[in-house]
Amino acid sequence: MDLHLTSEQMLLRDSAAKFIAAAGPKVARGFRERDPSFAPERLRQAGELGWLGILVPGSADGLALGLTELALVLEQAGRGLVCEPIGLAAISAAALAQGHTPHPMLKRAMTGAALVVPALQESAHGDDLFEPRTQAAEAHGSLRLTGTKTFVCADGADGFLVSAGGRDGLALYYVARDTPGSSLSATQTVDGRKLSTLSLKDAPADLVPSRQSSRSAVEAVTDLALIALSAELLGVMEKAQEITFDYLRVRKQFGKPIGSFQALQHQAVNIYIRTETTRSLLYQVAANNDPYRIDPALAVSVKAKASEDAMFVIQSCIQLHGAIGFTDEHDIGLYLKRALLLSSLFGNAAAQRRRYVKIAGLTV
Amino acid sequence: MTTFRRDTPAEAEFRMDVRTWLEANLPVALRGRTARPPPAKLMPWYQALSRKGWIAPHWPKAYGGMGATLNEQIIMTEELARVGAPQMPAQGLNHIGPILIEFGSDAQKARHLPPIIAGTVIWAQGYSEPGAGSDLASLATRATPEGDHFVVQGQKIWTTWGHHSDWMFALVRTDPQAQPRHAGISFLLIDLHSPGITIRPIKTIAGDDEFSEVFFDNVIVPAENLVGKLNDGWRIANALLGYERIGTSNPQYALMALDRIKTIARATGILADPAFQDRLAAAGINVTALSALFSHAVELANQKQSPGPESSIIKIFGSELLQSLNDLLIEAAGSHAPAEKPITTECGTVDVSTSFLQVRRATIYGGSSEIQRNIVARRVLNLPN
Repeated sequence: MDLHLTSEQMLLRDSAAKFIAAAGPKVARGFRERDPSFAPERLRQAGELGWLGILVPGSADGLALGLTELALVLEQAGRGLVCEPIGLAAISAAALAQGHTPHPMLKRAMTGAALVVPALQESAHGDDLFEPRTQAAEAHGSLRLTGTKTFVCADGADGFLVSAGGRDGLALYYVARDTPGSSLSATQTVDGRKLSTLSLKDAPADLVPSRQSSRSAVEAVTDLALIALSAELLGVMEKAQEITFDYLRVRKQFGKPIGSFQALQHQAVNIYIRTETTRSLLYQVAANNDPYRIDPALAVSVKAKASEDAMFVIQSCIQLHGAIGFTDEHDIGLYLKRALLLSSLFGNAAAQRRRYVKIAGLTV
Repeated sequence: MTTFRRDTPAEAEFRMDVRTWLEANLPVALRGRTARPPPAKLMPWYQALSRKGWIAPHWPKAYGGMGATLNEQIIMTEELARVGAPQMPAQGLNHIGPILIEFGSDAQKARHLPPIIAGTVIWAQGYSEPGAGSDLASLATRATPEGDHFVVQGQKIWTTWGHHSDWMFALVRTDPQAQPRHAGISFLLIDLHSPGITIRPIKTIAGDDEFSEVFFDNVIVPAENLVGKLNDGWRIANALLGYERIGTSNPQYALMALDRIKTIARATGILADPAFQDRLAAAGINVTALSALFSHAVELANQKQSPGPESSIIKIFGSELLQSLNDLLIEAAGSHAPAEKPITTECGTVDVSTSFLQVRRATIYGGSSEIQRNIVARRVLNLPN
C-alpha cells in the first residue's frame, strides 16, 4: 500500500533512490572481503546529501528531520544493498548531537569524513543491552572504560559509541578507534562485511552527552538502531520480492508463466503480506514517535517483525526461484545474506520478543 | 496494550471523555462477550451511543456521523475494546451507509441513512447464495423489471442477522444472458417485511444463530430501490467489499482476544512459561502490526474516498491473526478449553470454546482467504492468468 507522504518526503525518497542506482548487487559483490567493505567516498556523498545528519538539530547544522525521513533513506539503502553504513552513522550522529554541547566528533561524523558506530552488544542475543559488564571508572582525571563489546560493525570506523555501567549507572561513551587500551578483532560474515570484537582496558572515553550520565542515551540509541535496521530490512525484503515477482511473470514451465499457478500465487501473496505489514508497522511507528523518545515496546515490535519477515520473505523468494535461487551467481542470495546480518544485530526476532515480554508485562 | 501512536493533548482529552462515558454507560452485562447479544439487548446500547453522537465516527457530519479524524476513529476503537464493548451490527454503519453516501440517490440517502444512525432499522447483506459462494458472480436470484417495480425470485444464504433485520441490500440478477456474468447484476434495497419473504436462522458450530437463509417468492420491490444504474451492481458491491474488508479487520477484536488470553493464562499459570510468553509476545506484536495496517488502510481509504484491492491483505492478515490468537487461547486454557460455558477464574470470566468455534468463520465470510489471495495475486501483484 502507498505511504501517505509530504512532497518533501517524496523528494527525499527519490533522491535516495537516485543514490542507490549507483549501488546494487554488482557493487555489493565487489566489496566482498575488501577492507573496508564499502566506499568511504560514497559515505561522504551521503554526508553531503545531509543524510548522516538527518536527525541532528538545525542548531548543529543537521537536517532536523524525523524517523519517517530516516526510514525512507534507509529503506532505499536496503533495496540497493548499499554497503556504506548510513544508518549506523546517522544514529550515531544523532547521539553525538545530544546535550548542550555536541561532541567534537559530530561535525566529521555528519559529513562522513569520519565514521562513528554504536558498540552496545556484549552477547549473541543482546539480552544484556542495558546491563553491560563494561564499566567506566575515573583514573588520572579522565574517564576510562574496561570491558568487551561484540558484534560491532567496526569496518572502516573511526570511533564507537560504547555503553557502560559506572558510579552513576548506565551511560553512553565515545571511544576513539586505536585509542590506547583498545583492540579490535574482526570476523568475516557471509554478507562480505565484518563484525568485530572491541576489547577495552582502561581505554580513555568521553561521556555522550557530555557532563551528564544518562541511561536514556543508551536506550535512545538502541531503539533508534532497531528502527534503522528494520528500515533497511524492509528495503532488502522489498527488492527481493520485486525480483521474484518479475521472475514469476517470465519463467515458463508446462507452457505457462509459473506465476499463473495458484500455489505460487498464494505463496507470492504470503510474501506480500509480510512486506506490507512490516511497512505499515514501521512507518506508523515512525510517524508517531520522536527519534529520541521512541516507545520501546514499539521499537522492539518493529525489529522483531522486520527480522522475522525479512527472513521468511527471502527464503520464500529463493524457493520460488527454484534451483537458480541457490546459486552464488544469482543475486537473490545476496539479499538473504544481508537480511541474515541485519536481523541478527542488536537482538534477533526472538531476543526482541523476550524484551517485549518484559516491557509489556506478559509475566505473572 | 501498547499503541503505535501518541495522543496530542486534544486527543488525550477526547480519549478520556470517551473512556469516562463508556465506563459510566456501557451495561456490565454487555461487556467482554464473544457472541453478539440479541437485538433486544444490543440495540438499546447502539441507540445510547447514537444519542451521544458517537455511533458513526467515520461518517461525515452532514449524514449524522462524527466526521472524526483518523486518530479519533482509532481512539474510539481502542476505548471500545478496552471496556469490552460488544460488536455492533455493522451492515448499516460500515457497508450500506458508506455505499449510499457514495452511490445512493438523494431520496435513498434521506430515507435510509437517518434510521441507521438512530439504530431504528437493522440492515442485512444479501450476496451469497447456495450456488454462489466463492464464485459470487454466478448468483441466480432474479429481479425482473415490471413497470415501476422489480419482481424478485430466489434465495440468499449466510445472511448475518437476517432474521433480525428490517432491510437487505442485495445483489440480484437483472440480465441472465450477460457476459461476463457480473455485467448482469444489479444492487437492490429490499424491505424484508415485504410479502413473499421467508427467513430461517442457521445455527453454527459455536451455538449461535448469527446467520440465516432468506427466500424470495415473487417479492415486489419498487424500482426506486435500485442503487446506481441497472446492471452496475457488481462495481458498487466491490466498492462495498473494500469497506467490509477493512471493517471486519478492525483491531478491536484482536485486542479483546489478547486480553482473554492473558486472563486465562494468568489463571492457569501458563503465563509463567517462557515458551508461552514468547508466543504471546509474537501475538502482541502482530496485533500491533494489525493496528498499524488498519490505520494505514483507513488513512488511504479516507484519502482516495474508497478502499482499493489492497484492502484484501488486511482481511487476510486480520482474520488469520484472530484464528492464531484463538489457538493461543485454547492453549492457555489447557483442559478448560472444551468447556461449553465461559470459564470463571479469580482473574475474570473468559469465554474460550465459543470464541474458538466462532472464529472459524472469520477466514470464510466476506470472501474466503483463498479468494482474497486470488484477488491480491491478480489485481495487486499483476501475476498472469
